[in-house]
Amino acid sequence: MSSDFITVVSGLPRSGTSLMMQMLHAGGLSAVADGQRAADVDNPRGYFEVEAIKKLKEDSSWLADAKGKVVKAISMLLFDLPPQHSYRVVFMLRHMDEILASQKEMLKRRGTLKEGGPTDEQMKQYFDTHLTKVKAWLAAQPNFKVLYCPYNEVLQKPAEYVRQIADFLGGELNQTAMMEAVDLSLYRNRNKAAQTA
Amino acid sequence: MFGSKSHKISIDHDLYERLEKAAQVAGYSSTEEFVIHILETTAPAGSAADSEEEVRKRLQGLGYLE
Repeated sequence: MSSDFITVVSGLPRSGTSLMMQMLHAGGLSAVADGQRAADVDNPRGYFEVEAIKKLKEDSSWLADAKGKVVKAISMLLFDLPPQHSYRVVFMLRHMDEILASQKEMLKRRGTLKEGGPTDEQMKQYFDTHLTKVKAWLAAQPNFKVLYCPYNEVLQKPAEYVRQIADFLGGELNQTAMMEAVDLSLYRNRNKAAQTA
Repeated sequence: MFGSKSHKISIDHDLYERLEKAAQVAGYSSTEEFVIHILETTAPAGSAADSEEEVRKRLQGLGYLE
């Protein structure tokens, strides 16, 4: 898809950013991804990430080739995006309790859950403060347009959100394919729930 | 002003003179009042800095930050 802006999928980890990447990729938007982080139990359909996003401060030259494509950048990395480009950010929101529960599972699997760390209640507060700061910052950037997408509602009313996202990004996306990506995700979630029930 | 505990900090003489002049120009009643005002407005609030640091640690633990 040709355009003069870079599409960015953002949000906190485990807020549905990978699902949104799958939807946009299915809809016809090329994803900037290096495949270094392979699919796993936390993201069975892949992460759609690029390692270079973590080093934007040192080198952001590769972003010039990301126009007309989509790149995933967690919320904290938005501050590092260089100001010379225009961005359209699809920002995922999700109930904080669900985010924290999912993050904890991921930390356990990675072996990085530390004893004596902040409680869920503290972490919730820290993330709330962080999100407030990010939203205020985004609102003040002339080269950023933002669409906030609540993960649970995307799953419940995919047609509505797929339409909104397609409009926001210029309307050239294959909306049927995007809907199918949501269906696949719902199918996986139902299977997972059935297995753990 | 200092609560239950206060601390002394040594300041280079030339810097102190500059602060003294600036305090007079800005209308502060003393150099001390001026210095404390600057420190209060520029030092990061402990809770905000801690909060940001904890978010950073969590994101590193999840593999999203280096």
